[in-house]
Amino acid sequence: MADGLVTRRQSRWVVILKRVTVVIAMLISFFPIFWLISTAFKPFDEWASWPPVWVSGHPTLQNFRIVFFPEAAREFAAAEKGSLDYKVSGSAWKAFGDSALIASLATAFSISFGTLAAYSIARFATGGPNFPFQFLTVRMMPPIAVVVPIVALFAVLRLSDTYFGMILAYTAFTLPFSIWMIRSFIEEIPSELEGVAMVHGASRAKAFLTVTLPLVRGGVLATALFVFILNWSEFLFALVLTSGRILTVTLQVANYVSASSGKLYGVQAAMGTVSTIPVIVFGYLIQKHLVRGLTFGAVKR
Amino acid sequence: MFEQPASPSLVSRSWGFRLRLPFNVALVLPAQLIILAVALAPAVIVVWLALTDWQPTDAIPWYQAETVWFWNFYDLWYDERFVNAVLRTFFVVGVCVAVELVLALGLALLFLEDWRWKKIAVSVIILPMMIIPVDAANAFFMLFNEHGPINHLVSLALGHPFEFSWLSHPTWAMVPIMLCEIWQWTPLMFLLVLTGLIALPQNQIRAAVMLGASPPRIFFKLVLPLLLPVLGVAVLIRCIETFKIFDPVYMLTRGQPGGATETISMYMYNGAFVYFRMGYIAAAALIVLILVVATCLGLAKSVQQHG
Amino acid sequence: MENRMRDGQSRRKFLLTGAAGLAAASAPAALLSGLAFAEPATAANAHVVAAEAAKKLAVGRSVKLTILEPSGSLGNIKPVADKWTADTGIAVEFVEVPLGEINQKVLLEAVSRSGSFDLALPATFGVPDLAESGILVNLDKYAELHEPPDFQKDVLYTIGDYYKGSLYGYETDGDTYLMFYNKPWLENVDEQKAFADKLGYPLKVPDTWEELDAMMAFFHQPEKNMFGGTLFRTQYFIAWEWWGRFHAKGFYPLADDLTPQINNPAGVAALEELIAASKHQYAGAKSNGLFENFEAYGQGTAFANIGWGGTQKYLNSEKSKLKGKLAFGLMPGGKAGGELLRAPYFNWGWNYVVSSVSHEPEIGYLFSLYATSPAMSTIAVRDVDGYFDPFRGVHYEDPQIREVYTPEFLEVHKVSMQNSIPDFYMKGQGEYFDELRVNLTAADAGTKTAKQALDDTAHSWERITRRVGARSQKVQWAFLKSNYPEAIRGRLK
Repeated sequence: MADGLVTRRQSRWVVILKRVTVVIAMLISFFPIFWLISTAFKPFDEWASWPPVWVSGHPTLQNFRIVFFPEAAREFAAAEKGSLDYKVSGSAWKAFGDSALIASLATAFSISFGTLAAYSIARFATGGPNFPFQFLTVRMMPPIAVVVPIVALFAVLRLSDTYFGMILAYTAFTLPFSIWMIRSFIEEIPSELEGVAMVHGASRAKAFLTVTLPLVRGGVLATALFVFILNWSEFLFALVLTSGRILTVTLQVANYVSASSGKLYGVQAAMGTVSTIPVIVFGYLIQKHLVRGLTFGAVKR
Repeated sequence: MFEQPASPSLVSRSWGFRLRLPFNVALVLPAQLIILAVALAPAVIVVWLALTDWQPTDAIPWYQAETVWFWNFYDLWYDERFVNAVLRTFFVVGVCVAVELVLALGLALLFLEDWRWKKIAVSVIILPMMIIPVDAANAFFMLFNEHGPINHLVSLALGHPFEFSWLSHPTWAMVPIMLCEIWQWTPLMFLLVLTGLIALPQNQIRAAVMLGASPPRIFFKLVLPLLLPVLGVAVLIRCIETFKIFDPVYMLTRGQPGGATETISMYMYNGAFVYFRMGYIAAAALIVLILVVATCLGLAKSVQQHG
Repeated sequence: MENRMRDGQSRRKFLLTGAAGLAAASAPAALLSGLAFAEPATAANAHVVAAEAAKKLAVGRSVKLTILEPSGSLGNIKPVADKWTADTGIAVEFVEVPLGEINQKVLLEAVSRSGSFDLALPATFGVPDLAESGILVNLDKYAELHEPPDFQKDVLYTIGDYYKGSLYGYETDGDTYLMFYNKPWLENVDEQKAFADKLGYPLKVPDTWEELDAMMAFFHQPEKNMFGGTLFRTQYFIAWEWWGRFHAKGFYPLADDLTPQINNPAGVAALEELIAASKHQYAGAKSNGLFENFEAYGQGTAFANIGWGGTQKYLNSEKSKLKGKLAFGLMPGGKAGGELLRAPYFNWGWNYVVSSVSHEPEIGYLFSLYATSPAMSTIAVRDVDGYFDPFRGVHYEDPQIREVYTPEFLEVHKVSMQNSIPDFYMKGQGEYFDELRVNLTAADAGTKTAKQALDDTAHSWERITRRVGARSQKVQWAFLKSNYPEAIRGRLK
């Protein structure tokens, strides 16, 4: 605690001012999210009214119904005059399902290959000191610059709009995170421990698996959750590499547009709120490691 | 650190290949191959495409396109829209990262002491980082709607209705986009700065205090230089990520009105997937890739060395 | 309604009708054998014939059609698709994409060839580019086999269905651009007197842009919360309005050798008049999109509005204060050669196209035949929550449709459809129009003069034509020109 800066006795006013500033920061952080959640519960005549409705006086679940239970939404709209009756081509379950499948598998591959590579680099300095930067380079490339040739490549390989193609792309682009993050965790475990195990007859692989891996388990798990978040939130590749067989939660939001009312804010807000829940949950679980992840292991807490 | 094993090992023996593959190389192989497939092959394709002016409406596959050699690069040099997009992106990166840094620094200083609800405060403050970027952008779309809460607040402050259409204005449309980016990523900077502050050496600071130095002096002459490595990493990371900015631009304006909010990613997306000038955009992509990667690698190496 | 297709098409029709209609389908005798006892194929039973043919093709297999459709149009398509499945046993699935992106998604398919959809509903102006890219199946051969001779007879606008002489998709929406007027204001006796006194001719539904501009100026009193119009000054719409104003002056956008004529004095005048009219629009003109426009005009505080059938669906609903208080008019014309020239404009539309990556092109074609047949398309257009506006003669007689749109509107809509000039159906349409949009907006904003804006556009157009290939464009331009409505074709220079 660097409280050297605050060892002087502070006047109560200064303390209050500080706390108030923190509260203001909290309010600013929370406000857009509040608006999203609030809009998700608004009936459609409150979406863009003026003056805007901050908290709905007639909260409704219709938006969520449209997202998840279109049939129930139709029935509700038929019964309840004035509520939004929007015909969707399908519920959002497909989007959630596809996102979950692709994100999970891509994460699994990324972590598996990443751990192997990270171990190799951490313990053997494979490829020399510059080798790891190659993986960082992938992350530095603006995705849009890469997506154009990938579309061309996938066209030839017939991988466009396939699960395999998406998983491959996602795995590749999260490998840098996996490798760098897990490498930083492995580096924290002294290699002597493996040496001890090997002295007792274990092979190198066995030593790694039985000694080091359990010790970095927490870090690997955190990395997995982090990579899952990245995959789940990904937008550009999903936008360009799918044509309808695959749907992700990030794409589904843009589909809530109607011929008579334009953008269906409430439904989009409902979809956005629900689809962002896994990210929030996982994010808080790995809170301690977020910094390490987002700085490629450069900064540890 | 163990040295590389002298003889080929487990792989060749246990799997019966006659492949003489050192153990450590075998370990990185899967990752390496995937990267090669999805990063190197496209790089080669980009170079090829950049030398053609291929469009799908040419009705021939891209690998059979006619080459135009360096004309794409020549056209790009004189392409106002491209140059503007690049300059605009640098502007966005500069402003966003600077603002994030200042805000994060200021905020982190408030978290040096403990108080009862501090953990809650941190949790709420880092909430923006955990929203899916397109949903955050969508939220900002609603916030900056003509009939949205931001205009409402301004109306209340001004005393008369303020129904400004932020996202249709060539100059001001950039503001919601940048605010969205700043809102979402200042928490990351905040965490980084906090990490750095916590790691500061106590004794030096206490000594300075006892010697009677004023807080601003302590901050600027002592704390800030010590924080520089962490700040360096933070700025580098945020610069890399902000340069790629796409989701907020796409969701809020698509680069409209008239290209006024086109960043480099939006320009390339529009060029490749709205106008389908894929050869031309491949050339732009090549330029951008080389520039960005070279710059970032250089910065990364220097941070690595001084960190 | 006379079919206005050019020679090749009529030759085909002649073949079909001339050789005693049905047995004429000399090739697919096998196909027709099952129908030997059925009635002859006409537009009226086209859906039955199409369903039968599809059923035959799908026999013994489990076939599924996937349709790529713009978000919000499901209301129009699903009822028809359900009936199709009932009639043929072929399942239909939908893939939704945002409305503004469907053309790009289909063109992307030309690159990625994922095979994710069999049919798509791109906006009509995208068909040339899609056809050029090879992603669209040339439907001539299927039309030869299955299209009843009078199938297109009562379709009021078919220009967008054809590119360089071949059929690529049936139109399924009546997106002709037309005008709405505030009836109480128009029929207000005091206003009429004041207007006639001031301008020397009676206040009525305007025939020309000059008259409309004068009326908008007349009614524009922002201090009283009265506005001349709620016309649009955003990119897409400004280009459409200028296009209409330009054609009203009696010129084609390109000469026969593809030299742009858009920057001739008429074009510059059209733009200058448009910019002058901007002063008499409501405040939201520069920023509002379609739905804000509906709401704003529905308040009843402006004289004129421009839009499509969708506009009327809103304005005739409970949400609008102008329900029942509207007068309608064709897009204003101009004086060309001393006489009134009206050139209404068809500026969107959706076409059912078949993907060349699909495994079931013939069945896909049959679905589009089914869905745009008189019987089925009426069901589609009836649905209020969708984009499809009337486009066949029978639609205008349907009681449900008449109730949604009102007979007065439909009367004007029908005339507008019958006389609509096509959009710029050329390869690279998006690029050409984008140049136009950007420059027109700049001129409206004052950063360029009208002449400068149009000169720059013309310059860009020449560059685009060079890049796209002048020879190919000439073929399509000649074809397109020959398909302008007969009454208008000869009067444009």
